[in-house]
Amino acid sequence: MRVIANIQMVANIAVLFFVIPLAIIAVNTLLPKKLAGRVSFYLGGFAGIMQAAAAAADFFLLSANRLHEYEFSLLWDLSIEGSERFSVDSLSLVMLFCIGMVTIVSVLVAKQTVHDRKRAYVNLLMTLILGMNGMVLVTDLFSLYVFLEVVGLSSFILIAMFKTDTGLEGAFKYLVMSVMATVFMLTGLAFIFMQTGSLQYKHVGMNVLRFQSHSQSVLIYAALILLISGFAIKTGAVPFHSWLPDAHQSANTAISILLSGIVIKVAGIYGFIVLVDLFNEVPAINMTVAVIGTVSIITGALLAMQQNHFKRIVAYSSVSQVGYILLGISTGSTLGLLGTVVHIFNHATFKSALFSNAAALHEQVGSLDINEMGGLEKRMPVTAFSSVTAFLSTTGIPPFAGFWSKLLIIMALWKSNMQVFAGIALVASIFTAAYFLRIQKKVFFGKLPDKYENLTEVKGTVKFAEIMLSVVTILTGVFFPLALLYLKGRGII
Amino acid sequence: MEAVVYTCLGLMLVFGILAVMLHSMLKSAIALAAASAALGVIMYELGAIWAAIFEVSVCSGLVTVIFISAISLSNTDKKDLPKLYEDGKRMAFLPLVLIISGILLIVVAISSVSSLPVPTPVAEVADNFREILWNHRQADIWGQIIVLITGALAVAVLFKEGELP
Repeated sequence: MRVIANIQMVANIAVLFFVIPLAIIAVNTLLPKKLAGRVSFYLGGFAGIMQAAAAAADFFLLSANRLHEYEFSLLWDLSIEGSERFSVDSLSLVMLFCIGMVTIVSVLVAKQTVHDRKRAYVNLLMTLILGMNGMVLVTDLFSLYVFLEVVGLSSFILIAMFKTDTGLEGAFKYLVMSVMATVFMLTGLAFIFMQTGSLQYKHVGMNVLRFQSHSQSVLIYAALILLISGFAIKTGAVPFHSWLPDAHQSANTAISILLSGIVIKVAGIYGFIVLVDLFNEVPAINMTVAVIGTVSIITGALLAMQQNHFKRIVAYSSVSQVGYILLGISTGSTLGLLGTVVHIFNHATFKSALFSNAAALHEQVGSLDINEMGGLEKRMPVTAFSSVTAFLSTTGIPPFAGFWSKLLIIMALWKSNMQVFAGIALVASIFTAAYFLRIQKKVFFGKLPDKYENLTEVKGTVKFAEIMLSVVTILTGVFFPLALLYLKGRGII
Repeated sequence: MEAVVYTCLGLMLVFGILAVMLHSMLKSAIALAAASAALGVIMYELGAIWAAIFEVSVCSGLVTVIFISAISLSNTDKKDLPKLYEDGKRMAFLPLVLIISGILLIVVAISSVSSLPVPTPVAEVADNFREILWNHRQADIWGQIIVLITGALAVAVLFKEGELP
């Protein structure tokens, strides 16, 4: 009886993933202008905290009941057959938690970097959260596409909303690439629908194996090529990465945190996870994802080495790091998926930390050109410590969080007979270390230029975000083995 | 039925080209709505009745209203556009692109005709429309509501002059 009550609680909590952002849009829009200017960020922060708390609560309720998945409806009666159109599972709850965490960081940074259009920023942040929540909760490929459109549209407006020349250019590039991804995906979905007669995950998974004739096989392979291309554009994977550095560099840093910290993962990576899961019987898909991942790791790292703009280096680092995530997905194994999910969480953490560092540097130094900096650790010790922690985690140095996720991915590759890819992933960590050592040396170490003698550490919410993310990175790394034991004990892995 | 489909296909092509080529944003938005309406008729004739209703109501109706609102807020018209935009040469390759795209579509259509599902009769689908919309596409309804909210916010943020709080 108690178990049943707990299970109903899972659905009640899951409804909050839609209700809270919608309620905040309503309240934020109806508030008088002056009041909205004062409380908008608090509303946004509240949404992030509630999202993370709800995801954590649902995760523990599910694992306590030893359930992997729970379907629910939103306001409609669940007893109607076929109305269970949303579902929570361990993967979606981790993604939802990451969305909440990155939202909190974005709002903390926005409090010091967004000076006007605060109400619009928070409203669009809520629609972005709604889109991402919808993507990870639906059980149908077409519904996934509908919510993906919400994410794309919200991201585009967030980049363009301050109407700077670079912001509009970045937004336009993102829009063009996004439209291409949309066309690819819709065509791919149409091909799959022609073959299976349904786009629900459970039906696609069952029916896709029925293709036997040559023309049917061609249709499915064409659909897969189109869908992989579409999700690769959204991920910013090579060779579809051209929009990502421009968009991430030109956007306000609070928005760059969202884009790099979570949007590329939900809009792109999550799509890859769904695809590999549904089409795991098609051997070519694993190899294709592995090749895209490997090329992204190397190309992203090499391009990062050549940049001089702090945010641009971090953006190219995202291209490289999503390569690791794609390699984890390509294994198609439980271990690989675990490594992928952990690296998604870690990447959300250390990338948010690095963009918070960018916000701190921009606030205090007034520039993000690394050639103009040096020796800043003497004046900005918290920012320097936070940046070094994020760098060590990104590179995969023990005992920081990034070490565990990269280890799991490389082990999964090795066990899946993909030793060549495991070797490349291992060696490519040297490239990661190379571009991050360069950035650390040029920004925080060496001689402090005379013009920065009077520089002080950033204060307020940006400093709080830096400290919070450093603590999360260190604690995740130190206590990760315990978390693994918990997951194993609950039968989740 | 075939005559209606081919006529609407032709109209969709004509209005689509007009939407791209017209210099007035207002006329362009109206041409896009007409192309969308023609597509809606094709969908209806081919048995995709619920897709047709969404296409006509959302893409042809609501989106056009949002476009026209945005245009009226921005007050941008032909006279404000730079001369470069009016250069006819930018359309030089359009017929070639259309012909190649058309040929590719015909090849795909002919090669995949055997695997196409048999269209469900319109009457049968119409009976189940309410059930399909409310019970089977629940997530999409939420998605559509959120798309509309985002669209409205986008128009307000991008086209409204002056600073928002």
